[in-house]
Amino acid sequence: MLLAIILILIPLIAAGLCFVSGKKIAPIVGLFGTMLSFFYFLYMLTVYNVRHELMYNTSFNWIPEIKGIFHVGIDGYSIIPLLLTQLVMLFSLLYALNSNSNKPASYFGLLLLTQAFLNGFFIAQNPITFYLFFELALIPIYFLVLNWGGAERKKAVFKFFIYTIFGSLLLLASIIYIHSAIGANQLLSWKEFYFQKFPMHVQLYLLVAFFIAFGIKSPLFPLHTWQANLYSNSDKPTVIILAALMSKMGVFGLLRFVYPVMPAINVYQPTIITICIIGILYGALMAWRQTDMNKLLAYSSLSHIGLIAASIFVMNVQSIEGAMFQMFIHGLCVTGLFVVVGILESKSNSSNINDTSGLARIEPRFASYFFIITLASIGLPLTAGFIGEFYMLYGLSKDNILYSLFAGISVILGAVYMFRFYQSVMFGKLKNGSLQSSSAINLNAEYILAIIALLVIIFGFFPGMWIDFAAFSFLEYSEYLPN
Amino acid sequence: MSAIIILTISSLLILFFGFSKQRGVILPLSFIALIASFAMLAMGNNFWSEYLTNMISIQSSSKSFALLICAIAICIFPFFHELIKRGNEELADFIGIILLSIVGAIVMVSYQNMMTLFLGIEILSIAMYVLAGANRRSVNSNEASIKYFILGSFASAILLFGIALYYAATGSLSIINPKLINSELYQFSLLIIFSGFSFKVALAPFHFWVADVYQGTPTLFVTVMATIVKIAGFGALAQFVLSQNSVLPSWINWFFALIILASMFIGNIFAYSQSSVKRILAFSSVVQSGFILMGIINLDANNSWSLIYYLTAYALASIVTFIVVYFVEEQSGSDHLDSFAGLSKSNPVLAVVMSIALISLAGVPLTAGFMSKLYVLRNINSIGFTALMVIALVLAAVSFYYYFKIINAMFSPSGDRRWSVHFSYSAVLVFITIAIIFLGVMPGVLHGFLG
Repeated sequence: MLLAIILILIPLIAAGLCFVSGKKIAPIVGLFGTMLSFFYFLYMLTVYNVRHELMYNTSFNWIPEIKGIFHVGIDGYSIIPLLLTQLVMLFSLLYALNSNSNKPASYFGLLLLTQAFLNGFFIAQNPITFYLFFELALIPIYFLVLNWGGAERKKAVFKFFIYTIFGSLLLLASIIYIHSAIGANQLLSWKEFYFQKFPMHVQLYLLVAFFIAFGIKSPLFPLHTWQANLYSNSDKPTVIILAALMSKMGVFGLLRFVYPVMPAINVYQPTIITICIIGILYGALMAWRQTDMNKLLAYSSLSHIGLIAASIFVMNVQSIEGAMFQMFIHGLCVTGLFVVVGILESKSNSSNINDTSGLARIEPRFASYFFIITLASIGLPLTAGFIGEFYMLYGLSKDNILYSLFAGISVILGAVYMFRFYQSVMFGKLKNGSLQSSSAINLNAEYILAIIALLVIIFGFFPGMWIDFAAFSFLEYSEYLPN
Repeated sequence: MSAIIILTISSLLILFFGFSKQRGVILPLSFIALIASFAMLAMGNNFWSEYLTNMISIQSSSKSFALLICAIAICIFPFFHELIKRGNEELADFIGIILLSIVGAIVMVSYQNMMTLFLGIEILSIAMYVLAGANRRSVNSNEASIKYFILGSFASAILLFGIALYYAATGSLSIINPKLINSELYQFSLLIIFSGFSFKVALAPFHFWVADVYQGTPTLFVTVMATIVKIAGFGALAQFVLSQNSVLPSWINWFFALIILASMFIGNIFAYSQSSVKRILAFSSVVQSGFILMGIINLDANNSWSLIYYLTAYALASIVTFIVVYFVEEQSGSDHLDSFAGLSKSNPVLAVVMSIALISLAGVPLTAGFMSKLYVLRNINSIGFTALMVIALVLAAVSFYYYFKIINAMFSPSGDRRWSVHFSYSAVLVFITIAIIFLGVMPGVLHGFLG
């Protein structure tokens, strides 16, 4: 039986089992749940027919009094983020197996709860269901950082939480407004929502609300101030989820919600894209100046996500293909990079890039995995990163060549800060003291890095299938675009 | 009506038992009386539904409110077993008074005549004044009692003045089918009556008593204050609005909107800086009252269920929060945020139920609190107060701050106290929490049950 809702139920049940099981069993139950959901999704993918707009539906009248329909299913847009979620959660749990945390039962339970809500988020097929999971996904993450984070975790996670809640309450306000505006009709799926034509001033309000809500979640430039602190104060499995998946929630939300406000976006396009480009360049420049590895990755993430958001706002077939593909590749790269940071931190007990050097001599395999992931993150041809960035910049240039010119600078800056990071950590003199005596890299982390390195190369050579998925999903809703 | 009779007789019996040696029967008897009156209300035999020349009528929406009051009282009553700790001699007084206050609450939600309303309010309020001062040797408790009594009787007087004006304007004390003799006087009387109600349910700017009274009153009785008084107050307000629907002037929506706005601002801003959990919850109850009032705007018989839903969600969450505060206070001597530190480690059950209750109060999806907020916000949006909805939601972000401040405190590692709570109390709390989640996951059930 193939139903999208099972993708929510598998991790949810596994999470419940984790919470009640003992210290030893909980990680195994958790890993089993993630694997099950991964393979179930792969099986779904083999049967999935991209031309058959919406598959594996479940819908019922959840809130009968206000015609709030619960509707989940898989359409073209859901495929890539879902695959990313299953993969990244698997990596995150694998990595968590090694870090000896206290209270593993609640830890793994919360991780799986996050997966359940993230899966629900990516398969939500109408605004109400979307909002439900948008807000729910925050709760387990909050407790994960609160209980297992770094020194300043409380302050960092609280800031993140209040920011995000503010955004999502604005989203709730607009969803309630849309619900009332649609009136007696049921808001069954995205199409009913896209079909609505709002007056221009309402579109502007909605656009501002969506930009704030998803801009905080992603984060986009002026709303990113929670990011660096949170990333450096979460433990690694959590920050992998935050950077690889929660940030995709933001851009995915934009992708879902921009259709009805496209006319307003077209009017204000120069302003919006300029904000995004400022964010792209700002993120890249800030990453250049960081000495803390976590913060460096946080700002580089800000830069990459800004580019994805910009290409969603221009909304043509190439930019959407690029954005979807880059969402996937950025998720993989950032997972790999945070695993790398985790390893480096455990080796030198510091997250400063100047405290580690010369690691390439004693860990050649690690160095080469790290190098491949770095290249993919920069966007070198023949790695997967190139495909996404090329499509996005091409899509941007179709609207205005200046957009892609300025956004393109970030690719160069990306090479600068990533190579600076790589160089100072891997080359140079091997420092005395703790480095040599420290333990070997644990096997799970190395497996994760190897798989990611392999994947970014494979997707670099054969991106066709995923680009096609993105193109089909764009065509599915393209009739709702103005002109 | 039979519910009122059962509760009155049993409360008199309980006061009598206080003199005798059989004090052990007090709690079981009161519990049985509550369940019996709940059953009587649920069965709803029409013969007894209207009484005293139509001064009381327990039908349709008032029946739902009365049922809710009994159900919430049944949820609270197991915790009154804790009162035995304080010494037997006072038990009969407290339980008898609480039963009487429930009688007052039921009268309040089922009145058809202004005299009955006033009677109900006074029965309920006087019981509450006594409970606020239950801790006779504590200065705070005495202060709470005096403050509540003076301000409360002032508000009652204002309400009575409004009732008198209403009588002058319509020529009758009955609220059914009012015939206006003097429209301006009627509008003025509405203003006065609504102000009186606003005091009883702690809406800004009539909220000044709430923080001090909640802080001074023994926490077990705050649970009653926060749930039953609020349900009764809003039930009475709803009855009034429902009956006056045809003649209410149009400015009344704007008046309500103003009060909602004031409650949102004042409640959130004052709660933001508190460090005593009871005070935080007191100011948050002002905010919640504002949300509940959103369900009263444009009320008619078809959408009164959204009001009942909100009150149910709020009352269930309030019971859990205040009972947990009670246990923490009992063992650490203070309701300061710091005394919650380490609760998650030493008693995870209390920490988890408290977290879920606070999350529900804040309004996260899959809890009853979210659904109730969705209903009332949709209600005010559909009558054109979109800006009010947006402001309320933006301010709700502040409420997340102080609710999660409490959760943060509970999950902070410091403190290694031992909280031991009897298994049966934990079980009741867990049961209520499951009810909160159940109402959030399947919101249609309550509406179906109310018909």
